[in-house]
Amino acid sequence: MRASLFITCYNDTLYPETGRAVVRLLERLGVELDFHPKQTCCGQMHANTGFRCEAFSQAKRFVRLYQDTETVVIPSSSCVAMIRDQYPALIEELGNEELGHQFATLLPRIFELSEFLIDRLGVEDVGAYFPHRVTYHASCHGLRGIHLGDRPFRLLAKVRGLDQAPLPNLDRCCGFGGTFSVKNAEVSSAMLAVKLQDVVSTGAEYCTALDNSCLMHLGGAMHRQYAGMKTIHMAQILASTEEFPAEATL
Amino acid sequence: MSAIVQSRKMILDRVRAAIQHPGKDLADAAVEYSALPHNYTRRGSLSTAARLQLLIDRLREYDAEVLECNAGELPAVIAAQLAASGRHTFVAPARLPADWLAPGYEWRLDHGLNTAEIEEAEGVVTAASCAVADSGTIVIHHTAAEGRRVLTLLPDWHLCILRASQVVEVLPEYFDRCRQQPNSHSSEEDLSMVTPALATYISGPSATADIEMTRIKGVHGPRFLHVILVREQG
Amino acid sequence: MSRPAATHPVLDPTLAPPFPQAVLPVLRNPQLRKNVAHAIDVIQAKRASLVAEKTDWQELRSAASAIRTHALENLGTYLEQFETRCTAAGGTVHWAADAAQARQIILDLLRQEKASEVIKIKTMTSAEIQLNPFLEANGVHAFETDLAEIILQLGEGEPSHIVVPALHVNRSQVREIFARTMGLKDLSDDPKVLTNAARTYLRKKFLTIPTAISGANFLIAETGGVVVVESEGNGRMCLTLPQTMITLAGIEKVLPRFQDLEVMLQLLARSATGERMNPYTSIWTGVTPGDGPQKFHVVLLDNGRSSILARSKHRQTLKCIRCAACMNTCPVYRQTGGHAYGSVYPGPIGAILTPQLMQMHHAQSLPYASSLCGACYEVCPVKINIPEVLLELRAEVIDQERKQPGRALDPMYWGLRIANVLFSRAWIFHTAQWFGRIGLGLFTRKDGWIHSLPSVGGKWTQTRDLRGLPNQTFHSWWASRGPQSNGVELIGGTK
Repeated sequence: MRASLFITCYNDTLYPETGRAVVRLLERLGVELDFHPKQTCCGQMHANTGFRCEAFSQAKRFVRLYQDTETVVIPSSSCVAMIRDQYPALIEELGNEELGHQFATLLPRIFELSEFLIDRLGVEDVGAYFPHRVTYHASCHGLRGIHLGDRPFRLLAKVRGLDQAPLPNLDRCCGFGGTFSVKNAEVSSAMLAVKLQDVVSTGAEYCTALDNSCLMHLGGAMHRQYAGMKTIHMAQILASTEEFPAEATL
Repeated sequence: MSAIVQSRKMILDRVRAAIQHPGKDLADAAVEYSALPHNYTRRGSLSTAARLQLLIDRLREYDAEVLECNAGELPAVIAAQLAASGRHTFVAPARLPADWLAPGYEWRLDHGLNTAEIEEAEGVVTAASCAVADSGTIVIHHTAAEGRRVLTLLPDWHLCILRASQVVEVLPEYFDRCRQQPNSHSSEEDLSMVTPALATYISGPSATADIEMTRIKGVHGPRFLHVILVREQG
Repeated sequence: MSRPAATHPVLDPTLAPPFPQAVLPVLRNPQLRKNVAHAIDVIQAKRASLVAEKTDWQELRSAASAIRTHALENLGTYLEQFETRCTAAGGTVHWAADAAQARQIILDLLRQEKASEVIKIKTMTSAEIQLNPFLEANGVHAFETDLAEIILQLGEGEPSHIVVPALHVNRSQVREIFARTMGLKDLSDDPKVLTNAARTYLRKKFLTIPTAISGANFLIAETGGVVVVESEGNGRMCLTLPQTMITLAGIEKVLPRFQDLEVMLQLLARSATGERMNPYTSIWTGVTPGDGPQKFHVVLLDNGRSSILARSKHRQTLKCIRCAACMNTCPVYRQTGGHAYGSVYPGPIGAILTPQLMQMHHAQSLPYASSLCGACYEVCPVKINIPEVLLELRAEVIDQERKQPGRALDPMYWGLRIANVLFSRAWIFHTAQWFGRIGLGLFTRKDGWIHSLPSVGGKWTQTRDLRGLPNQTFHSWWASRGPQSNGVELIGGTK
């Protein structure tokens, strides 16, 4: 199986270890990975802030770059949600028929990481080993945007040594919301405080998610507050084995 | 008044201009309407006994008191309820069946009672048009046996008599009954089931949760709701 | 104990401060936040259990969404049908293009009745047109009769929720308001006692004031009927006892047919208060001889609604049946309560409705008062895609900003414009990453973390640290990795 990795702009810049983990995990599972060197951003930050023309130019760029790709894997549910929920309207409003056609044929070949593992590769047990107590934070985009459902839990359940700690109020937003976190910093922080209480109450060592954006938010507060807890992208847990254990990132 | 006449035209013009097909009339709208999805539950699935039991359970959840009886027992059961209430003065709709007016109480039949006369009464006894088991709702269409709206509003105690055949399981079944045209076999009660000009749906006694979401029974409407469910004979 | 009125501005979007400023006093008010969170959590739990028992919930939502969409797409037809039927049944229909007209129509009707007092059923639409202060200034005192509205009226507070308007006030605050304004010194703070005090206070008003004002939950085109749902019975009192009834309703409230209630009523109570059905639903059609008010007026209000209707993606805003499920589930509302929205319509629906009613001249900060978490869309009984409309409105705000000379002073604005250039070519992006690492390196402490940043970045670091940028980006690692490499040190941390 061939797949092309869209790492996303912020993972490329801020969380390269997540990308390295995806590479290690998928290659271990026999996927022939490829990385398009011209990739930058899906346009989500612009679209969500109201910069529609700018978002469109990035959407166009994304579709052109990947139109001939067999399968695209993205370790970020919010970027996948951007492509699925917002590209159609952007392309319809600002694009042309050709772009619309290219996008329509590309769309079914775009997968979020957990979707790719379960729906495309058909694996739940990826052979991972991670002997820690972990709580899973369901990002809003993963939960309500692209409906990941129980996929993340099924993957974690098969990780040897891992002790899942259920997170109370799983469906409640952590307050990140992209530029919301600075435009409405005070409300965002109040939401974060509530979420962090729930996360800490699990007694887990790690909080994991399929979006580093939420984890950047939660991890930033954990570090500020000496919460005694770390965040880790689920790709890094799934890539971890006895031989090559993952190192916490935050 | 001319400003208002102008506003009417202005609003309707704006509303029509806002929508892509301004030429549509009521007949076109009816065609479109008939194609709307109605895939929700339109028919109940419970047996008669289970349907009645569901209604009773729901009414009791609302703190309503529910009794069951046969048609022949009804006058006696009504009398017992009145006695148990400790109340003496009751109002009743003008055409409440005569054998429901138990002797020994002051009955004020509503042949145009004024508000003060109704307000002074300690209770009211009425029929109903329908009941919906799923939501514990009593439907009153304010027919001559159900009374004007004020009758079931001011007295603090309401005794409502329902026949088992009036109980449907889910709300859409009530609306279906309202759409059925009366025919020559229709009894007087069935005739009450046309689309009503006046209707009150009662789902439990008056209540509020405006203070800290604490549910308090009895604000302005009757605080005590009693229901007698009359099972069909045989 | 502070009186709610003193701490909050009037809910007028033309005067309200931007959302990020308006939240500050609320976020510093632990009592208010506790009151809001408590109320919200109770309603949410009740709603969740009652929605779960409804096996056809999604089908009901689909039907409701289709009915409301259809009604809006044929609004002119149905408004005229409603007018015809209501008039035939003895009602009088008035049309108000804006708030000022609606206020004047209602005042004129009250003057015809020589009314100096009027009793009211809770109606957010009357709050939208700021009816009560207008009537007061013109010599008519309006008595609110919904318990929550009495609490706010007597306490000179403002509604913070469209279904439970006083949810930000707790029992001891209610006790203080009632004791002070009703002259009841020995009142306890038991909700039952407080409710009884309100019952006694209002009973005489119901029996003596001959004119009433209501809103409408639905107008039925097919029959000319009007529907009001409520819990307390104050609505039934106002609808039954007076001689004259004036109903104020937005033009979007029309349902095509009586039967549509079988969908709407099932959704509304469960979504709004977590009940299978609200205690009382009243339907009346024009005037019924011998029963209830013998004069009946409906005032149909546009006030910006027709301009919302004109835009296909925005139109769904008008499907709203005012259940408040969106604000009950909203994580932002849970922190802020309703006043910060500066409008009688708070929460997610307010964030899209208010700026549109203001035709985007005011309340431009509201479309940003959301983390776009999508919870509102998931619970909406008529499937309003609130995040989609929020994004539409954000785009309009940015389009306004593009034309404003002051935009250069907004670091967010030029930051995003520059970011667009960075993302346009990989080499520019990679160069920017390099500069970013150098720049942020100046703020990065020995532990590898950034604790404080200037400008917009400071908004982040006021409560959150930020990990310093790693030395190697993913793409440069990939480029250095060579075609066959696989193995050690791939997933390790930064240091």
